[in-house]
Amino acid sequence: MTPTAPPNDSPIRTNPTVPHDTNDPLTAPEPTASGHRLGEPIVELRGLRKSFGDLEVLKGIDLTVHRGEHVVLFGPSGSGKSTVLRSINMLEEPTAGSLRFDGVEYGPGLPDEAVVKRGKAIELRRSVGMVFQQFNLFPHLTALENVALPLRSVRGLSRAEAEHRAAETLRSVGMLVRAAHYPRQLSGGQQQRVAIARALALDPKVMLFDEPTSALDPELVGDVLATMRELAESGMTMVIVTHELGFAKEIGHMNVFMEDGQVVETGGAELFSAPTSPRTQKFLSAVL
Amino acid sequence: MSLPLANYDWGLIWDYRSDLLNGLVTALEVAVVALVLSLVFGLLLALMRMRPAPFSWIASIYINVFRGIPALVTVIWVYFGLALVIEVSFSVFQAGVIALTLLYSAFFAEIFRSALEAIPKGQQEAGLAVGMRPIRIFFSITLPQATKIAIPNIGNMFIGMVKDTSVFTVIGLLEVVRVTQNVVATTFQPFVLYSAAAVLYVAVAFAIDFLFRLIEKTLEAPPNGVISRAIRGRRQRRIQALIDAEIASAKA
Repeated sequence: MTPTAPPNDSPIRTNPTVPHDTNDPLTAPEPTASGHRLGEPIVELRGLRKSFGDLEVLKGIDLTVHRGEHVVLFGPSGSGKSTVLRSINMLEEPTAGSLRFDGVEYGPGLPDEAVVKRGKAIELRRSVGMVFQQFNLFPHLTALENVALPLRSVRGLSRAEAEHRAAETLRSVGMLVRAAHYPRQLSGGQQQRVAIARALALDPKVMLFDEPTSALDPELVGDVLATMRELAESGMTMVIVTHELGFAKEIGHMNVFMEDGQVVETGGAELFSAPTSPRTQKFLSAVL
Repeated sequence: MSLPLANYDWGLIWDYRSDLLNGLVTALEVAVVALVLSLVFGLLLALMRMRPAPFSWIASIYINVFRGIPALVTVIWVYFGLALVIEVSFSVFQAGVIALTLLYSAFFAEIFRSALEAIPKGQQEAGLAVGMRPIRIFFSITLPQATKIAIPNIGNMFIGMVKDTSVFTVIGLLEVVRVTQNVVATTFQPFVLYSAAAVLYVAVAFAIDFLFRLIEKTLEAPPNGVISRAIRGRRQRRIQALIDAEIASAKA
């Protein structure tokens, strides 16, 4: 792909005959997807709970994300999958349980375990990138400034350095030619790619995607998925909440089905073809 | 038949033009200084009001007290009352500025609060997610967007502030109405001179409206209108030049 051209917006994204991962020896059909040649754990959730008032939305989540791994969270609305994602960068503060990132504890911790090293939310967020369903670009800034602002205020780069780095990152998502545009002059798909660049420019160790294509017109979904696919192929550690199960099947090393604040079942690509839990079977037959 | 308006000596306005304009300048000076101060205090009050108790209570009480007191009462209270109670005496100019600031910071607080609350929560979350500190999020993300929302209301209030300077005639501030009264006392032509005063206020209202529309358009993204684009043009050209250079370097 040429550096300045936008990624080829192929609408093909859910072709089940693509041999991509099914023939991949790395994606072994083990429930934990541990057949993938994984790095050490980077995100570890253990017994993670979250309540909003009397409503408990996460009822003890255990989930480990390894370096280079692509984890997909899916399930019905209200199952808590977005809350899990938002807990990973502390946009939601866990009520109980352990949230470890790179060995450092950020959650309340487990009752019977001494905390070795505790970190602050702001430090955690500086290592974790996030992409939102509604893009959340800053509307008063150009695409370039959207990417450059965190580089200046978080990394302390000069304006020239920040803008140069922002331009390079925008190029990598095919948005350099639109860098002088304001968000409202961009399509949803373009806005989402700028939002991906904004997170990527900070060189995160993990990228979180919260339903990144749910707010897009169907014909714009392909562009964003293409950008995410490229990122996945580059070896980025990704945690993705999505309803794009075709895409999940293609890139997900570990797929997590959640319902009612709990993890029901996890697995590799085979989870979609041969789910074991009746609840997963019912959900998949309804959406696939 | 002669027109009834022709029976008046309209030439008086021209004769006393410098007095009237000096009065207008004084009124605008008081209003502008008070505008700057009440924007600062109004923003602080808005932030206090959005905090938990007891900050929100203190801000609410202040806002409701000073939205409720008429300008006339406030300025008399500041100029004569404070002089008695705490034994400081302000000049008429200072008293006018203090009175307007006390009153209008209460209104600006509400304008800022509603503007700040209108910014989607996702904006702040996006700032937090990239690891920005709350203070940076406020100044780089929330406040610029809230300001754009607040600008039309600030313009409205500013017109009100200029008009409210007319009550400072009671403490002897030489603003438009006081000047008009003085000239009427020697010429006995109230209709002519108060008409002139009215025209001055209306002209100022038009000018303020124009100015605030311009500011509003300049804050739009992208800036809207010829003047707005010219004001923000340098930044836009710099960004475009940088992008062109990056694209060219990639091709090379």
